[in-house]
Parts: sequence; structure tokens; C-alpha cells
Amino acid sequence: MIDILDGNACAAWGARRAKVQCVPVFPITPTTEIIETIAAWKADGKFPGEFVVLESEHSAASACLGASMTGARTFSATSSQGLLLMHEMLPIISGCRTPMVLTTVSRCLSAPIGLWPDHNDTLAMRDAGWIMLICETNQEVLDSVIMAYRISENPKILLPVIVNMDGFVHSYTRTEVDVPEQKLVDKFLSHPELEVRLDVKKPMTLGIPAMGLDYMRYRQQLHKAMLDSFDVVDNVQKAWAKVTGRKYEFLDEYKTKDAKAVIVMIGANSTIARSAVDKMRKKGKKVGLLRIRLFRPFPEKQLRKALEKIDNIAVIDQNICPGMGGILYPEVKMALSGCKNVVCNYIQGLGGNFVSEDDYVDILNDVLKAKADDRKWQM
Amino acid sequence: MADVDFNIKEEMKKPHLLTGGTFACAGCNPVLGIRLTLIALGRNVIMVNSSGCMTLTATWPFTPYRIPWVHGAIENGGSVAAGILMGLKALKKDKDTHVVVYAGDGATYDIGLQSLSGMIHRREKIIYICYNNCQFANTGHQCTSATEKYARTTTTPPPIGNPLPRKNMAKMMAMGGADYCATACVSFPFDFIRKLRKAAKVEGSVFIDLLSPCEPGWLVKPHETIKSGKLMVESGMWPLYEIEKKKITINHKPEMIPVKEALKIQGRFKHLTEEQIGEIQETVIKEWERITNGRFWEAEEY
Ligand SMILES: Cc1ncc(C[n+]2csc(CCOP(=O)(O)OP(=O)(O)O)c2C)c(N)n1
Ligand SMILES: [Mg+2]
Repeated sequence: MIDILDGNACAAWGARRAKVQCVPVFPITPTTEIIETIAAWKADGKFPGEFVVLESEHSAASACLGASMTGARTFSATSSQGLLLMHEMLPIISGCRTPMVLTTVSRCLSAPIGLWPDHNDTLAMRDAGWIMLICETNQEVLDSVIMAYRISENPKILLPVIVNMDGFVHSYTRTEVDVPEQKLVDKFLSHPELEVRLDVKKPMTLGIPAMGLDYMRYRQQLHKAMLDSFDVVDNVQKAWAKVTGRKYEFLDEYKTKDAKAVIVMIGANSTIARSAVDKMRKKGKKVGLLRIRLFRPFPEKQLRKALEKIDNIAVIDQNICPGMGGILYPEVKMALSGCKNVVCNYIQGLGGNFVSEDDYVDILNDVLKAKADDRKWQM
Repeated sequence: MADVDFNIKEEMKKPHLLTGGTFACAGCNPVLGIRLTLIALGRNVIMVNSSGCMTLTATWPFTPYRIPWVHGAIENGGSVAAGILMGLKALKKDKDTHVVVYAGDGATYDIGLQSLSGMIHRREKIIYICYNNCQFANTGHQCTSATEKYARTTTTPPPIGNPLPRKNMAKMMAMGGADYCATACVSFPFDFIRKLRKAAKVEGSVFIDLLSPCEPGWLVKPHETIKSGKLMVESGMWPLYEIEKKKITINHKPEMIPVKEALKIQGRFKHLTEEQIGEIQETVIKEWERITNGRFWEAEEY
């Protein structure tokens, strides 16, 4: 079914097609329409699951833990301050190996208050033990929510997944989207029974303390599950491509093969950078774009392979870690350790500040000239 | 209403659903509270724990529980339970399972008040039991808003002790919409069990504030924890009552022994002056008069 939908509607449709059973939530701009859409479906009898607005995001995340632990398929969504309020619960959810999907609709952090997107909210969750898929298009949001359940509930993985989109740019912008038929999704997505769960027929003690080396073993297993999920994510993406024709990869490479300079970035602005690449290619400049879609687990090897032969690399960070710099930059540098490339960092678009095609043209021209690593702000 | 299908002596003979071998202190009353809860409610319980001493009852690879049990965090007992209830409803398993929160006073009166209040307001069919040892015991006996006035804790040391009176949580929850609300004390097990049996039949939210003496926190001897709870009740410092539809029923008429007798065996009140004891005595008498003379709902004096 082809429709014109914004990113929030896409997340809601993803959840509906995945037949989620529990949706504990709390409103925040620019996420709210996801929960309003599901609330409206519930009122119309189109959504048979449980929908509860809790009294905070912390409580919504806590309810996600409880709901998912019973074995019910669980979905929630939040942004910015809401995500930070959930933060305490995220490592608990992953530490308990509780599958679920959380859509984060990126919005900058207070203070000062801002409504518009940057990635400081979602990237702050990078150590929470969640698989993180960061989307560029509305279609990708919808597809990723569905795929995320198949990844999350895989008995070998059992990790929660964040599917991220940008506030406003995705959440309130309508584009043409294919909403897959229910039959197709039903066939794609089974619901394996959760073995470790809360069930009076099968009593288990969950969320308990573990001391000394036991603690470390738990954390090591979590890390291992994360690393094991590379294959699962890959297989799920391939399976989705088979039934829909829409192909997703860990890294979305655009005209990088013969490129001399490449932009590395995440999120919605990649679309703008893409057209900057086209513009420069027309002028004979060998430039390209690499968008990181799978952010956790971090596809270090693939990134290195994709970038090691590129002379000049511009890492765009739409976030700032004050006192350190961009968050993506050191991760890309790590992947390229020992390589000879010149890697520059550009901070841009904080608080949703507008970036144009020409801004990316400027960055590409700048990085093409660069002789050594550098860190800059574009504003 | 007689509880015809429940014979407590028979229930006591069944294998305990909380077995031995926890890490609890000798004389720990919160742990006894769990045992009483499971005697009253049986196997069909999913128990949610908020961080506190009871979190350490199970430590990998050991568990004393024969029921499903989960610890989430400290401030979210009400909302983890709400999530479990959502899940059970979605899976159509909610009819025959009791979702029970067992959380400390710090987790309930202080850091988790929001999630409890949400749970109560939404009339979730959850039984929330606050095991009230009147302090953050697990972190080393600090003052909570359930700590009695003048009590010594590690954050309210003598000579003054705690300068603030405690919150009246049962009242607050009853006003906030709890369908069944009660105070209880581990030293009065039959009263507590009866309340739980009643709670199990309530189609809505339940809050029970269970006074549970703590040996290292109250500075009482392990074999005197039960006695110290009894004295708290008999002195009127911890009245036992239940509230249904804003109607309060007194479940036990205290002997109204002097509070001095109750305070005496607790080391945490050792530093009190005659004047302070006198003030506590006066407050207790006033509070008892308010409860018995239909003025329970009036604002309290500070
Ligand atoms: C967010 C957070 N803050 C602080 C703590 C530390 N903490 C663990 S247990 C506890 C005391 C809880 O007191 P109470 O609920 O009365 O239970 P008790 O220890 O008395 O059994 C505290 C403060 C924590 N676990 N989480
Ligand atoms: Mg306590």
C-alpha cells in the first residue's frame, strides 16, 4: 500500500504491522504523534494491544521492562529529555536481555531548550547495550521497526533495539512510503516464545544481583550477544530485501568506490549530503558519502574496509560532546587506526540548525584540501 | 466476610514459597513479610521488588523464590508492575495472576512516589506492599520520609535526630484513588494475611503499608524485632486500619501503652529527651483521637 506518511506515522505503522502487544509511553515533541496515532487506532478498534500512557518516560521504560518480561511484544517511543529520563532503565532492559523496540525521534537536549533535531539524545545511549539503527528516510524507519523485532527476539540475541529518526525532518515530513501488507509481515516475522520470562507456571528470579566475576561474565555475555548480532542483522536485512526489494546494509555507501574524499555521517541530513555529492561529481570531483546505519554494534571492520583507501574523510557530527568534540569522530578514527587517511571532524546542525547542499559542498572542498586531521565547526 | 476456602494452619504446612537461605539479617522482618505475603496469596504471584535490602534476598546463582520475581530499579515498582499487568492482559493471563510490588519505604515514600501514584491513579489491579522499616536500610540506615520524628539515622544523628514528622502514606494513597488501603505490621501476621486475602479480591489498586522492624536499623536485638513492632502498634504509634471508599476501619484497638515503652527497646530513640518523648506521646494521642473521632481526613498539624 503506497501512502504519503511522515516519520512518526511510519514508526506507528511499523509497530502495527509487527503486531506489538504492549505500548507504554509518555508524550514529548517530536514523538507525540506516534503515540497519538496508536491511541487513535486503539479507539477505533484497529489496534488490539495494550496501550498505557504512564506518568513519566522513566515509568514508560520501566513498564516496557515488565511488559516485555512477560513475553509480550513491546514498543515505545521518545525523544530528547524523555530519552535521558529513560536512560537509567535502558541498561537494565538490555542487561536483563529483554527484547523490545524503542523509536527515538532525535531532538536536541536542554539547556537551552530547543525543539529541533540533533543526535546528542540518541548517541548518549551508545553504551546502554542496545542495538542501534539510525535511519535516513521514513521508509527506512517503517522497515527498520519491523526488522528490529526479528533481530531483537532472535533467541541467540535477545537484545532491545533503538530505531532512530530525526525529529521534524523525518517525524513531521511526509514522503511516499510503501506500507507492506500485513500478510507479508506476518510471514516475515514470527514471535518466538521468550524462554526466560515472568510466568507463574515457570517461576524464575530475574534482575538479581551478581557479584565479582559473575558480574563480569554477565557483561561479557551482553557484549558477545552484541557482536553476534552482526550476522543476525545482516541476515534479517537480506531477508527483508528478498520480500520487499528494499536493501539495507550496516553502512550505506554512495559513490565511494573511486572517491578521493568521503563524508561520513548519520541521519536524515545524509539525503542533503547525497545531493551535494551528485553536484560535485557533475563537476568531476571524486567524492562520496558513507552513512552509518548500524551504529551499535559498531561495524568497525566494515567501516575500515570501506574507508581505508579514501585519502580525505570528513566526519560530520550533528552532536557535541563538550570537552571532547564530535561523538562519531573518534569512533571512525578508531576504525581507521594505523591508516594514512586525513580525517577531519565537522560539527554542524546542532539544535536542528539548517544545513544546505552547499554546506556539504563546502565541507567536501575543505576536506579535499586538508593535509592533516582537523576539527572544525560549521555554523 | 468469612474467607471460607482459606485455612491458615493448612497453608502453613505447605512448602514455603520463600525458602530459607536468603542473605537477610537475623530477625529481619521485611523477609518475614514476604513469607506472609506468599502464604496469603499463594503461587499465582509475580513479585516486583524495588532496590533495597530485599533485592539481596536473591543473589546469583541462588534464589529463595518459588514464584516469579523481578527486580527492576528503585523508583519504579509501580510502573514495572504496570508493565507486567499490560503484558499479562495482552497474553490473556491476567485473570489468575496477582501482580505484587514489595518495596521499601524509601523506594515508596520518596524516590518511587511518582510511579506508585501513577499506578494508584490508573486503578491498576496491583497489590503494592511497602515494607516499612522507616529508613533506607540497605545503604546504611539513612533517614526517609517514613522515619519517625526524632529517630536517629545515619543522616539524622543525635542530639536532635530526625527533625521532621513522617508522611501519612496510607492516607495519601487512599486520597489518591487506591481502592483498598491499609496499614499492617509483621508482628500482627493474621491481620496482615487477612488484609492480603481481601486485597486479592479487589478489582483495582491496593496499597498496604507494612511496618517491618529492622534489627540493625532500629538497634534492637534480633529476637526483639517482633516485640518492637508489637509495641509500636500497642502504643498507638502505628495504628492498624484499613480504608475502603474513604471509610476507615480500625482493625486493632491498641492498649495505648506509653510510647516510652515502645521507644525504650529501640536504640535509635535512646538519645531522646523527656521533652521529645512527651511531644511524641502527645502527637500519638491526638492522632488516635482524630482517627477514632471521624477526623482522619482533616489536614494534619505540623
Ligand atoms: C536511583 C538510585 N538511587 C539510589 C540507590 C541506592 N539505594 C539502593 S537501596 C536504597 C535504599 C532503599 O531504601 P528502602 O526502599 O527503604 O529499602 P530498604 O533498604 O530499607 O530495604 C538506596 C538508596 C539506587 N539503587 N538507585
Ligand atoms: Mg526502608
